Amino acid sequence: MEQLINDLKLQIKDALNLEDLSMEEFDENAPLFGEDGIGLDSIDVLEIIVLLEKNYGIRLANSKEGKAIFQSVKTIAEYVQANRKK
Amino acid sequence: MIKVLSTNITSPLGFTSEQNYQAVRSGASALKRYEGLWGVPEPFTASLFSEEQNAELAIGGYTRFESIAIRSVREALSHTQLDIASPRIVLILSTTKGNIEALDNKQYYPSEAAQAIASAIGVTTTPIVVCNACVSGLSAQLLANHLLSAGLYDYAIVVGAEVQSKFIVSGFQSLKAVSDEPCRPFDIERIGLNLGEAAATIIFAKDCSAGVWTLVDGAVRNDAFHNVSPSPQGDGYYNAIEAVMEGYDKTQLATVCVHGTATLYNDQMESKAIQRAGLSDIPLSALKGYYGHTMGAAGVLETILTMCATDDGIVLPSKGFTEPGVSGKVSISNETQQTDKTAFLKLLSGFGGCNVAALYARCAKEESQGTKDTKRWVKTHSVKLSSEDGKSLTDIYKQQIGDYPKFYKMDILTRLAFVAAEKALSNFPLKGEDMRPALILFNHSSSIVADRKFFDTICDTENYFPSPSVFVYTLPNITTGEVAIRHHLCGETSFYILPDKNEALMQQILEASLAGTNTPIAISGWVNAESETDYECELSIFEAKS
Repeated sequence: MEQLINDLKLQIKDALNLEDLSMEEFDENAPLFGEDGIGLDSIDVLEIIVLLEKNYGIRLANSKEGKAIFQSVKTIAEYVQANRKK
Repeated sequence: MIKVLSTNITSPLGFTSEQNYQAVRSGASALKRYEGLWGVPEPFTASLFSEEQNAELAIGGYTRFESIAIRSVREALSHTQLDIASPRIVLILSTTKGNIEALDNKQYYPSEAAQAIASAIGVTTTPIVVCNACVSGLSAQLLANHLLSAGLYDYAIVVGAEVQSKFIVSGFQSLKAVSDEPCRPFDIERIGLNLGEAAATIIFAKDCSAGVWTLVDGAVRNDAFHNVSPSPQGDGYYNAIEAVMEGYDKTQLATVCVHGTATLYNDQMESKAIQRAGLSDIPLSALKGYYGHTMGAAGVLETILTMCATDDGIVLPSKGFTEPGVSGKVSISNETQQTDKTAFLKLLSGFGGCNVAALYARCAKEESQGTKDTKRWVKTHSVKLSSEDGKSLTDIYKQQIGDYPKFYKMDILTRLAFVAAEKALSNFPLKGEDMRPALILFNHSSSIVADRKFFDTICDTENYFPSPSVFVYTLPNITTGEVAIRHHLCGETSFYILPDKNEALMQQILEASLAGTNTPIAISGWVNAESETDYECELSIFEAKS
C-alpha cells in the first residue's frame, strides 16, 4: 500500500505539473480540493481519471462514485488497490 | 449598427438558410449516433455531413473545412451584387479548430485557410480569423460591426465554419462533456453536448434599412473565474447582457436565443444570469437539439435561424427539452410559440471565460449612424519576449513572479502571454475593477504547440489516452482567459489570427473595437509560439488619447 501511495503521488505530481509541491509536503491524507489541501480543480480530476486508466486499467464511468474516491491520495490508493486491472 | 444583406447555412440539414429553416421548422434534427467512427472508441452523437453530402460539397484543391466555408460564402454572395475584389470588403472567418485534420502540413494554419477561402471567393483584403472558442461566431459579427462602424470597410463577410474529427470529439469526451444521446438543453436529464459540422455566412453592410435585420449592438465580457467552468452566477454572461440591453425595452424581444449546450454547468449558469437580468419571461430558444454544437459556426448559424423564425412569426421549439433542470427562472418550451415582435437577443458562453451578447432587430425605417469616432490609442508600456533572448520563461517566472503554481500547467503560448502581462502590468498597476480593460491578442500559429501535444495523446490506438488538461490549451483564447483570471479582467477578451504580424491592421482592429467604450486602457499585442523553443511576444498597455 505504501508503495502504491508513493507511485500515485509521483504520477499525480507529474501528470498535473505540481512543480511547487515537494514529495515531502505531499500528504496522502490531505484533501485534494480547497485551499487547505492540494487545491486541485475539475480538470485535474479528469486528468487523474486518465492516469488511473492508463496505469491501472481502471475505467471510471460513473461520476457519482468519484466524490468518494477523489478525497485524498489515500482514498484513491484504496480504490486502485481494490479495482486495479494491471 | 450594421445590416444583414444576405445569409447562408450549409449544414447536414440543407445547403441554404431557407432549406435549413424549413427542416428545423418541421422538427428535423441532424443528430445521429456514431460508433467507432474515426477510431474514437466511445460512441457519440453528432451532426455530421454524410458521405454523399461531403462529395457534393467538396471543391478540388481545398480541404473539407475550406470547401464548406467557400460553398456557404458563395451561396450567400449569389444574392448580392457586391464587387468582390473591392478593397472595401473584409472576410472574417470564425472557427475554433479550422483545418485541424491537416495538423502535419501547412494547411493547418487558420490564417492560411482564411486566405485560401478569400482567394477562392475573390476577396482581396487580408482576412481575419476569430478564435474565441464557442463564442467566436458572435465575436466575429461584433468585429464586423466595429470595422464597418469605424468606416474601415463597407462590407463584411462573416463566415463561421467547423468540421468534426477525432481531435475535437476525443477532446470533448476527455472533458466528460459529450453525450452519446441527442442533447437535452436545460432539461433535468441533460448529460452533455453533441458536436456538429456546419458553415454559416452573414454578409453585412453599414447602417440599416427598413424591414432589414440589423445587428444593433453587442458586448464581450469575461468571467475572470475559470477557463472551463463558467462563473456559477454567470457574471460575465450577465455583464454582457447588461451592457447590450441598457436602455433597450426588453418587451420588444421575441426571444432570447441561448447557448444551451446541454452541459450541466452551462445551462445552469445561463438560467441564473437570465433571471438576474430580468429576462425570465422572455421565451428562450435553445437550438443545439437540431445541429449539436457547431462551435465556430454556432453563433452565425443560430443567429440566422432566429432571424428566419422571427420573420415567420414564431419562436422555435427547444428540441430535446422536456422538464426544467435549472434553478434560474426561465421560459423554455419544446413547442412552437407565436410572436409579433421584431427583435431578439443572442447569447453565447465559452471556454476561456468569455461571454457574448448581441442584440438584433428588424429595422422599422432607414437609419444612418455616421462613422463612429475612434480615439487614438497609444502604447505606453511594452514588453517584448522572444525565444532568442536566451532566458527561459520558467526562469523569468521563478525569478520575477513565483507565486502562481498554475503557471506550470500552462502551455507555452499561455506562459508567454502570462509572463508578458505580468511584466507589463507590474509597471502599470490596474486601479479598481471598474476599469475593465480590454484584452485583445493576435497571433499566426494559433495553438499549434498544444495541438501537437494533444494529437500525440490520441494518434496511437493502442495507447489512446486523450488528455483533458492538454486539450483545454488547444483553444488559443484560453491564453486570454488565464491572463483575465490572474488580473481580474472582466471586460472584453478576444483572440484574432492573422497571416503575419501586421501592426497597422492590429492597431485598426484595436481602435475600432474600443470605439464607443469607456475603458481608458487596453492590453493588446502579438503572442505567437511555433514550438517550445520558437516564440515571440510583444504585449503593450494602450491608453486612449482624445
